[in-house]
Amino acid sequence: MTEYELLRTALIIPPRARAVLCFWAALPGAVCAPFVFWQSLHAGILFCLLWAGAVFALRVRACSFTAALSPRNLTVHAGVAFPVTRQIPRRAVTGVHLLRTPLLWLAGASVLVVHCPGGQLLLPGVPAVQADALAAILTEEPS
Amino acid sequence: MTAEKRFHPFAALHILRKTILVYLLPLVQVLFGRNWEALRAALLQALALFALLSLISWAVLHASRWQLDAKGDLLVRWRLGLRLDRTLRVGAVAALTIDRPLLHRFAGASRIKLYPAGQNRPMTLYLTRQDAAWLADRLLPVEQPSFHKPRGGEKLALAVLGANGLSTLALLALAVRQSRSYAPDAQTLAFAHLSQLAAFAARWLPMSTAWLLVLGCALAGASFARSGSQVAHYIVWGTDTQLGSRGGLLRQYEMRLCRRELNYADVRRSPITWALHYCPVFVTAGSCKPELPLFVWREGTDLLQELLPDIALPPDAAPDICRRSLAFFLPSGIPLGLCLLLTAVSRYTLPALTVPLLIPTGVFAALCAAAGVGYRREGVWLRNGQLTLRRQHRFHLHCVCALHPDLCLTAAQSPWAVAAQRTNLTLSFPGRLRFKVRSVAWSELKFM
Repeated sequence: MTEYELLRTALIIPPRARAVLCFWAALPGAVCAPFVFWQSLHAGILFCLLWAGAVFALRVRACSFTAALSPRNLTVHAGVAFPVTRQIPRRAVTGVHLLRTPLLWLAGASVLVVHCPGGQLLLPGVPAVQADALAAILTEEPS
Repeated sequence: MTAEKRFHPFAALHILRKTILVYLLPLVQVLFGRNWEALRAALLQALALFALLSLISWAVLHASRWQLDAKGDLLVRWRLGLRLDRTLRVGAVAALTIDRPLLHRFAGASRIKLYPAGQNRPMTLYLTRQDAAWLADRLLPVEQPSFHKPRGGEKLALAVLGANGLSTLALLALAVRQSRSYAPDAQTLAFAHLSQLAAFAARWLPMSTAWLLVLGCALAGASFARSGSQVAHYIVWGTDTQLGSRGGLLRQYEMRLCRRELNYADVRRSPITWALHYCPVFVTAGSCKPELPLFVWREGTDLLQELLPDIALPPDAAPDICRRSLAFFLPSGIPLGLCLLLTAVSRYTLPALTVPLLIPTGVFAALCAAAGVGYRREGVWLRNGQLTLRRQHRFHLHCVCALHPDLCLTAAQSPWAVAAQRTNLTLSFPGRLRFKVRSVAWSELKFM
């Protein structure tokens, strides 16, 4: 994938990558749930409902996620009820971390963390081909 | 490459100061024992810990060195069992500060803080005065500077101190008056018939509130005096590559900021600066966010443009305030409402407490008025390619110009803000310094 193609395409989180993210989010809750049920049945049910709500909110946020590359900036939009837009200049990028677990590999996605002096930007579960191309473009020397 | 040099013995004191909580640990057992034997054992243990940590600090001091290599990079070596080397490239220093409190001046020591570009943690070194000046001249040399001696700092400090002194005196008079009236009067006696607690409150609450206000005002005065003494007799300079200032009466302070790494310039306005036409100008670089202004600017003079040629101040135009969030008034409005309620209740239950309560009520009312200024004036503007913003914080109106091109922007909205087409905008500068502007109209953020 070339820079020209990336400039014309918005990055989204595909359904299989969303499922992986929801699985990650649900996992700590599933581990903790038996201990909460041990305390009382009502507390366990309440805990499961709250955790399921949090996972659903994460899924909705993942559905609304878009990242767009422009000649000068990388912009990320996420959220429906509490939308957040983050913009970092491409020339400020100091490093990129690319993470791919076996589940993400099966889903054909990667987690990208973009570092810059003012903070960092997380792109969770973007398609692997686009993530590799974006990482290469962001780390090359600005012309 | 220079020869290896040692740190000043104050570096060991700095390590010891960080371990002060360790000496208090043995004293916990006195809480359980509650006898002289337990206290004696705890003091002995604290003494043994102090001796051990002093020995370690002394060993660290004697095993540590610093030097400049052939390229001029700073190498700091800590060797005590394990080896820890840190290198700071000469071109990567965004800012440095040299601090010399009174005690340091007596001992001939200086605390030098080096702020690497793009990092959020500075490197602190304790050196002799000559070494600190020599190192600062190597890392950020002052070449062909144009010096200025602005006079506004002392004037501004004296005005703040005078206002604080007068208010402290007024509060002192009130507290003395409250203290005199504590002979058990008819009202206190009447309360005493109700309950012991009510009698205690009637007797001590008004007086203690008044004296607490005096204490708060006196502490604020001490803080102002400290800041005032630091800005006395100061000079500011600018070169092609850096900005700097130096001054201080008892506590001497010097800062040098690399022009290439400047984050933003913040011109702070407040009621006192409106009256005197002097504004303190704070400039940051890297993660260096000094508590003292770089210089005090007399409005209408060319000093600001001379030192910061690229600066653009926010325009006088008012921003769009249609459907703006009322959250501006919450931080001061809630305490104001509470104080008003307490004042109204005290008018009927404890009249002696009404006057002391009117003072915090007045302060919160003034803060509410300041929030009103923020409501009408806060905003973001793009001027001549520079991002400028106005932000109200307590009594100060910050007029900020972003000077660094690598600026990260975050726009966060709540459901109400989405409906009103507004957003909170956070500007993140290198060194993790942040500035937030509240409830900006989306239509004003065309640069995003």
